[in-house]
Amino acid sequence: MRTLMPPRTRSWLWCLLLLAGLALPAQGTAGPAFDSPPERDAAGFFSLDWEGAERFELEQASGPDHEDARIIYRGSDTSTTVSGLPDGEYRFRIREEGAEEWADETVVVVEHHPLSRAFLFFALGAALFVVLILAIARGRRLA
Amino acid sequence: MTIAEDVAILPEGIAWGLLIAFGILWVILGWYLGRKNRTAEDHMLAGRNVGMALATATAMATWVTANTTMTAPQLALQLGVWGMFGYSLGALGLILFAPMARRIRELMPQGFTSGDFIRLRFGKFTWRVFLVVSLIYAFGWLVSLAMAGGVLINALAGIDYRVGMTVILTVCVLYTLLGGLRAVIGTDFVQTVIIVLGVAFIAWLTIDKVGFEAIHFNLMEERPELLNLLFPAAIMFLFNNLFFGVGEIFHSNVWWSRAFAFGRSVGFRAYLLAGLLWLPIPIVAGFVALATPALGINVPVADMVGPLVAAEILGLTGAIVVFIVVFAALASSLDSLLAATSDLVTRDIYRGHIRKRASDHEQFRATKVVVVLLGLVTWAAASYRGELPVIGSLAEVLYFTGAFVASAIWPVVAGLYWRRANPTGAGLSMVAGTTLGLVSYFTIGFYVAALVGAAVSLAVLVLFTWLAPRDFDWRLLAEAEPHSAAPVTGGAR
Repeated sequence: MRTLMPPRTRSWLWCLLLLAGLALPAQGTAGPAFDSPPERDAAGFFSLDWEGAERFELEQASGPDHEDARIIYRGSDTSTTVSGLPDGEYRFRIREEGAEEWADETVVVVEHHPLSRAFLFFALGAALFVVLILAIARGRRLA
Repeated sequence: MTIAEDVAILPEGIAWGLLIAFGILWVILGWYLGRKNRTAEDHMLAGRNVGMALATATAMATWVTANTTMTAPQLALQLGVWGMFGYSLGALGLILFAPMARRIRELMPQGFTSGDFIRLRFGKFTWRVFLVVSLIYAFGWLVSLAMAGGVLINALAGIDYRVGMTVILTVCVLYTLLGGLRAVIGTDFVQTVIIVLGVAFIAWLTIDKVGFEAIHFNLMEERPELLNLLFPAAIMFLFNNLFFGVGEIFHSNVWWSRAFAFGRSVGFRAYLLAGLLWLPIPIVAGFVALATPALGINVPVADMVGPLVAAEILGLTGAIVVFIVVFAALASSLDSLLAATSDLVTRDIYRGHIRKRASDHEQFRATKVVVVLLGLVTWAAASYRGELPVIGSLAEVLYFTGAFVASAIWPVVAGLYWRRANPTGAGLSMVAGTTLGLVSYFTIGFYVAALVGAAVSLAVLVLFTWLAPRDFDWRLLAEAEPHSAAPVTGGAR
């Protein structure tokens, strides 16, 4: 292979490899980032994933000014499960543990299913359950 | 998405020691209990004379699975108090199956599989649809159990997920291979004792060390919706879980093979008692997840929450107890499922479709080959946890199968009790129920798929039977020889 590649091409390739090598540390300094965070949630639970450092700090706040912000995780895990939040807009920020600046931010809007939909499914389930009990009880009697 | 080795609570050496010790125990028990198996019937149905104590223990232990000890805490973390109470409604599956087990034994004294019943009652079309539904469910359950094994070992000891999953799967395949249903039922008895004592111990220590007040206060501060009785997704989930549990038990050969294997008059009492004893277990197991905010634990993946909380509260001893309990729960279900699914594949696919004149010896050998093949396919799928769309968390995999199994509830109930049920309607009810159940799984959420599947299936079956009722003579089930290559067609006369 080496004999087939002209010296000029080889030099260009070396230059490209060198540039790529220089670019890698630059990416690392950008710090941690969220990995495909959800935008909306109706179920009431979701997970957040992140990467880009050894140890992390994750902050949660409910307003754009981060007034009620609190650190919800500090450590080396790369994901967390969020649940039990009422309807609202939640802001999450991530950074390397000990860093001054936040490296990435994401907003998740929690909007639970409407109660009317929830009770519709509940009523459907209750009706089916009654039918099931009656079917077995009646079947046993006739059998 | 995994726990780093340096933050694991259980030292790797201890974890390997427990894995090897219990692995060897189950394999030796499997060999010992199954050493007298000579025929396929011995291997598959344990001589059809299992007594009350073993019958109750095997029904309960099989139903206490990774899904109970690990998914119940996951659901408590995601859906709050209704999550764990909803999960306990799965007990109704066992309780409602009690009268059905008696009827199954009476109608088919020589039956082998749930597939036998559907074929004789509804004919080939419905039988094939049922086999697809049943095998997809069995495969989903197998994968979720194998995943749970890997997650457990990773969460507690930091051992690589794939390594832990492979070891647990290998142990279960080995002893199921050696002992058949007799080994499965025997090990289930030992495993039930371990599970009940272990779960009670963990719950008692959680309350003792954290306390109700601290749990309640921190939940109200950080995750208030988990205590909200009007949590919409949790309300939608309640009956969904009930129908999922009922669907799993009513259709699956795991429970039918036990109905055939239990002695006469044992099935009804054993299933009823097992259901009542099982009822509180998801609540006790799920409760520990509510201590997460009070303990300030991060839960990287929801299905890890049970082992993580228990290990955090109880330290090394707790981690060891959790490890043994969940290993026992996993093994007791994985072996049952491997045995029952291999029976179904051997009887209904190999004997029913490929080699119709297979001798008893050939079936005996085929059962063992199928166990190994099932183990390999399960291993391959569980290796892709988090990388394939449906193979995400335990609950996602499990509830994906909800649409399939819930749509099989009405064909089974109608098959047993409704003389005029239309055979084609029974097959189409499963097709329509599964299809719309899956649509709801992807468009609304995993917590409604089974409910939608059950509702649609009932509507289709009732409609077809109303338009074209077909009479059936129950005696045909008892008179038919299940070994026969030429089944009674469809029951439609």
